[in-house]
Amino acid sequence: MTPLAREGGIALIVLALLLGAPALFSSPAFEDFIIRLSALALFASSLNLLVGASGMISFGHGMFYGFGAYAFALLMQRTALSLLPAFLLTLGLTALAALLVGGVCIRLKTIYFAFVTLAIQMLFYSVIISWESLTGGDQGLRGGIPRRVIAGLDINHQRHLYQVCALLLVVGLFAMRHITASPFGMTLRMIRDNEARAAFLGIPLWRPKLAVFVLAAVFAALGGVLASLFVSGAYPELADWPISGQAIFAVMLGGIESFLGPLAGSAILLALNDIFTRITEYHGLVQGGVILLFALGLRRGVLDFLRRDRARGEAASR
Amino acid sequence: MTKEGVCRRTVLTAGVASMISMPFVARGAGNAVRIGVPTVLSGPIALLGTSSRNALMLEADRINAGGGLAGRKIELIFQDGKAQPQETARIAREMINSGGCELLIDATPSSGAFAVQEVVRDLGVLCFHTGSETSSLTADPKLRAPTAFRCARQGVHDSIAGGAYLAQFASEHKFNKWATCSPDYAYGHDTTVQFLDFFRHFKPDIEIITQAWPKLGQPDLTEVITKLIQAKPQALFTLLYAGDLSAFINQGNVYALFGAMSVCTPNVDYPVLNAIKNLPDGIQSGTRYFEDFPALPANKAWGEAYRTRFGEYPTNWSWQSAASMMFLEAAAKKAGTADGKALVPVLSGLTIDCPFGVDGRITMRDDHTIIDYAIGWGHTIAKPPFITGVKAADWGQIIELETAWKKQQGYI
Repeated sequence: MTPLAREGGIALIVLALLLGAPALFSSPAFEDFIIRLSALALFASSLNLLVGASGMISFGHGMFYGFGAYAFALLMQRTALSLLPAFLLTLGLTALAALLVGGVCIRLKTIYFAFVTLAIQMLFYSVIISWESLTGGDQGLRGGIPRRVIAGLDINHQRHLYQVCALLLVVGLFAMRHITASPFGMTLRMIRDNEARAAFLGIPLWRPKLAVFVLAAVFAALGGVLASLFVSGAYPELADWPISGQAIFAVMLGGIESFLGPLAGSAILLALNDIFTRITEYHGLVQGGVILLFALGLRRGVLDFLRRDRARGEAASR
Repeated sequence: MTKEGVCRRTVLTAGVASMISMPFVARGAGNAVRIGVPTVLSGPIALLGTSSRNALMLEADRINAGGGLAGRKIELIFQDGKAQPQETARIAREMINSGGCELLIDATPSSGAFAVQEVVRDLGVLCFHTGSETSSLTADPKLRAPTAFRCARQGVHDSIAGGAYLAQFASEHKFNKWATCSPDYAYGHDTTVQFLDFFRHFKPDIEIITQAWPKLGQPDLTEVITKLIQAKPQALFTLLYAGDLSAFINQGNVYALFGAMSVCTPNVDYPVLNAIKNLPDGIQSGTRYFEDFPALPANKAWGEAYRTRFGEYPTNWSWQSAASMMFLEAAAKKAGTADGKALVPVLSGLTIDCPFGVDGRITMRDDHTIIDYAIGWGHTIAKPPFITGVKAADWGQIIELETAWKKQQGYI
């Protein structure tokens, strides 16, 4: 069995489990959690396409998360488009925006790349705040996202939104997995590990870098669309710099080298937030302390730690 | 080595699994009416959230001591939405879906309130918004949710009342040259325009000679203050609030701004007064929450009870939250049940006895927003009660102009 078929099979099993879970135990909180996890995990995994697979540390990736949320909410509120065309158009617009931003950024390296992406995100955030007639300014796009019925699925209904999110999460992660495992992904890793050697082998460096920048932006926008569906609107916080920080936290918590690291990191981050906001009003302090412990104790993230721990264990038992 | 590794891994996996599963463990509701309160308990406006919490606890204890809501005790569940819409929406949904809450009291600012409004629309639960003053939340029929009620002052009401008072003040003192100074974000810009519209409605000959827009939380206001003084207006209208307003007054004192022009603001609240080192006499001020206005024994007693229990003054959000509980209590008594869905038709159009009503009564209008609450304007003095000579706004005039405004906006 090829790795692609094996991973496709695993993805189908996970999808079946997620779709079947509500039949076994009905928990609206679990469904809410999966909806939010889908948004954050797609966003964090898309960041890891840049950070982990390509070595491009972006501090401004949240711009595309916010762009997805705003573009989708605006298309749904201001046009007669139904859900699917609005969704596809959102991804197309994000790709176009990423092409423009990437054209400026990808020739820069390390800290310069990181800070220019952050600067562009701050610019985008300022546009959202200032362009009040379009975006609602600091109050956000209010009034809900209308016309949410497609192919018998009423996304107003939480169960249906859960099913759509579960599907997009699994499909999105599988697509990103396929990208990283493909020859294109290998090219990215070669550039990440030794840019000079890749250039000497005749690889035009800007092309795969720009391509992965655009792809990562599209997946981040997918997460943003799900976030906007969850809150039924779009708010400036979805495009502000802390949202980029949240994705970086998720990647660092879960592990950069493991493909599912950002997914695990997102789940931990959301669970920590949910637990501590429920039990203490000093949640920021407690959550920060726990994340610090994770960072100090498991320096490469939970999944990377488990993988290395297992590898050490196997080596010792031989 | 291997054994140790397995052990650490197991512990880690179990820890992560228990962490992730914990949010889904629903708590039993019992017979109590569990009320979810998404609010703001961290960040720059945490004071408004904690003062809402205090007021709600005060009222819940009073109602519980009297037998509860239709015989059921009230249990309040507070959570911090961090003034972030998506987080506020999440906790609102979680409170209903898994927290055993039957209804919501949403003590968040407008950004949170609009997010909660959509959750309420989805879930169909009874909700009181007690923090949002943005008029469109209930005025715009497209945004109004069938089971959501605003138990808070409304921007358009304050604009009309403020415009009428300032026009009279300007006429008495022959002040035609005005300046404005408001926070540089949607609230500051929109509400300044709305205030000026109604101000001009009552006094068309005013001239705005300069406008300053300091950033929210801007620590040094020197540039703004010197710009205003150099423009030499006769009077200044400001929508700065909370810490920004106290900083403006403290720094304005240094530059003798209050000797150079008359200053008018609708946003003086007790916490602002406490944060001002030398409160100048004669600032024309609206009342947000004021123990002496309306001058009713019930209002005085409520303010004193709050201060005695919590050792601080109530805020505007305090009375709004307390009033929501009073509406809930009256509706439950009338309906004979604490079931949220059954209370919705009862609440619409309900008038209750309330210490915060201008005549001791407040009505929840059929467009799900309150009217007849206390709106007054007076002027500051350096010592308690800090504001004196308060004149009550004319609610007949407010409703007449509000109706015209709603027509202009296409809401009716």
